[in-house]
Amino acid sequence: MRTDAAAAPSLETALETLRARGLGMRRGSEPAPLELTRPSVPTGHPALDVALGTGGWPRGALTLLDARTGSGATTLALGTLAAAQEAGGLTAWLDLDGTLDPAVAARLGVSLEWLLIARPHDPGEAVELAAWLARSGLIDALVLDLGTHPAPDRRALDRLGSLLARSGSTSALVLAPTGGTVVGAVVGVRVALHRTAWLGVGRDLVGQRVHAVVERHRWWLAGGSAELDLWFGEGRRIDPLLAARAQPIDPVEVAAEPPVLRVVSA
Amino acid sequence: MRRSITRTRLLALVWPELRAAEAAPTRPFERMLDALDDLSPRVEAVANGVALVDMTGLGPMWGTERRIAARAVMLTRAVAPLTVRCGIGDNRWLATLAARLARFDRPGAPAAFHAFGVHAGRAELRDLPLALLPADLATRQRLDLFGLTRMGQLADLPRSAVGAQFGAAGERLQALARGHDPRPIVPRRRPEHVEAGATFEPALEGIGSVGLTLRRLAAELCDRLRERHLAPGRATLVLRLEDAPELRVAQQFPQPALEPDWIARLLISRLEAAARAPFFSYTNQVGGNRVGQSSSANEPIQIYVAGSQEGPRQPPDSVITTTVGTWREPPPEPRVASVLLQFDRLNDPASRQLPAFEARAARWDELRWSLERIRHRFGPGRLRRATAERPTAALPEHRSRLVDIGS
Repeated sequence: MRTDAAAAPSLETALETLRARGLGMRRGSEPAPLELTRPSVPTGHPALDVALGTGGWPRGALTLLDARTGSGATTLALGTLAAAQEAGGLTAWLDLDGTLDPAVAARLGVSLEWLLIARPHDPGEAVELAAWLARSGLIDALVLDLGTHPAPDRRALDRLGSLLARSGSTSALVLAPTGGTVVGAVVGVRVALHRTAWLGVGRDLVGQRVHAVVERHRWWLAGGSAELDLWFGEGRRIDPLLAARAQPIDPVEVAAEPPVLRVVSA
Repeated sequence: MRRSITRTRLLALVWPELRAAEAAPTRPFERMLDALDDLSPRVEAVANGVALVDMTGLGPMWGTERRIAARAVMLTRAVAPLTVRCGIGDNRWLATLAARLARFDRPGAPAAFHAFGVHAGRAELRDLPLALLPADLATRQRLDLFGLTRMGQLADLPRSAVGAQFGAAGERLQALARGHDPRPIVPRRRPEHVEAGATFEPALEGIGSVGLTLRRLAAELCDRLRERHLAPGRATLVLRLEDAPELRVAQQFPQPALEPDWIARLLISRLEAAARAPFFSYTNQVGGNRVGQSSSANEPIQIYVAGSQEGPRQPPDSVITTTVGTWREPPPEPRVASVLLQFDRLNDPASRQLPAFEARAARWDELRWSLERIRHRFGPGRLRRATAERPTAALPEHRSRLVDIGS
């Protein structure tokens, strides 16, 4: 979280930044006040924290990770939970499809001791459960993984958003590969993830490079972006030697010739 | 400088009828112990039908030892008119031995009494048979082989010789034969409860309206327990309703706590769950269309199609029939005449060490109260914690295990 007054951009600087990014403002409109001290939960990736401007996922808000399946949204979310736990927080994962593997979460640095796993029956119940957990004010970060289910009712999401804002302590990440359009309209922050390259050591894939773009941000300037290296198996705790030797591989080449997947860092 | 040393004096009470019956109910015995609490603050329940009362220092208040024993008999016979043997001694062995030696003066006498004097030792036990000692059969046979039949014979032997022949158990038997018993009395902790109630005149409309009163009662009980450094582990809430049967809800807490807000919220959610349950209880019996989830336990709500004969039972009279289906009419809000809140399973709140030192553990403890309420709202099986089992197992389901929270 940035508290340095010198780092606070002036209105002119903000407008320049917007123009430089091609996000021109309507003449005469006033920009929303920037919240330099908004509390946040670290994403686990410093580059993304900087791109978000608020130092991480803002607390008291819904955040949508808009990504196709396999683009690293789950890995990024688990890394966020691990980072939140490292800061002494409690976390929750609402697993609608039942696809969360706790062993994978543990390998990515999530402490299972402080992770609550909820198994709702449908999207509506998932949103309601998230609202109950947010209302307690004790969960620092929760992930709502909608999986292949359709997006929940928009009014329910609005209600969840207002509850989160009222509690002000929980940061909720939504993973909705199929219902991103509906969810994206009500969230405070939307981040799009696109895979730009695989990361490989020789012929072995050890991770992927993802381009994250902040497409919407209610409390800061949108348009920031970051390159994230998401490592398979070990998350942020990748062996530095292995990370140094990893080379980006064009995803088109990989698609043409599927590599043999081997566990290199078990 | 000489110091006066007060000798411990114990009163043993043995009820032969309770001892003889194998499966004698413990309830009257518990009530007898409760009655003995009025005599002494230190009462131990040795077994069903055997009690030890510490009567040290009670003389100035109640009189001689015989009078104290008579008072104990009077208190317990007020609960159940059973015959009782009373024995007094300097330690628990001598007291219970005295109770065994007590003889009734006449047939039908309510009590028998025997007391060993202060500083009673091997002189008074000398002629008693060794069969009175709590020894196993093999040890008794070995004692017989050595020609030992009286306590005096065993007490006179050198301790080292007894230890060499019979081991530590033999040394302990010899100490008993000499009248020594180091085991102290262990006073029982009385299973107590505290309660508070309120009566509404006129009656309150609806169960939800008792929330404020419940919060006030919980705060009052917590204040009372805080002064004694105790915390409740369970609450029982009794709502007396007008025109409806009494509603009783027992709720165990995640941990002993003195938090009236948490307790009141948890009880209210439990009440709401209990109040919701009968509303949808009938809906699964008739084959019909599945239209959604109930708000109580997520059971599917089914509507009864008019004219259908599939169901084993006809819908009840209070069902509204429409062209689409039938819904049971919501029951009227009950009127609450009085509320009684009771705390029991009192415990030491300081027994939880980890939350005192780790803030996250304390927050997790606090979260468990919310999770308990969520369980009431959504039903069991929704909230789980994972534990790592075999991280290198081939199948994901073997790598970790999900445990239902609250189970």
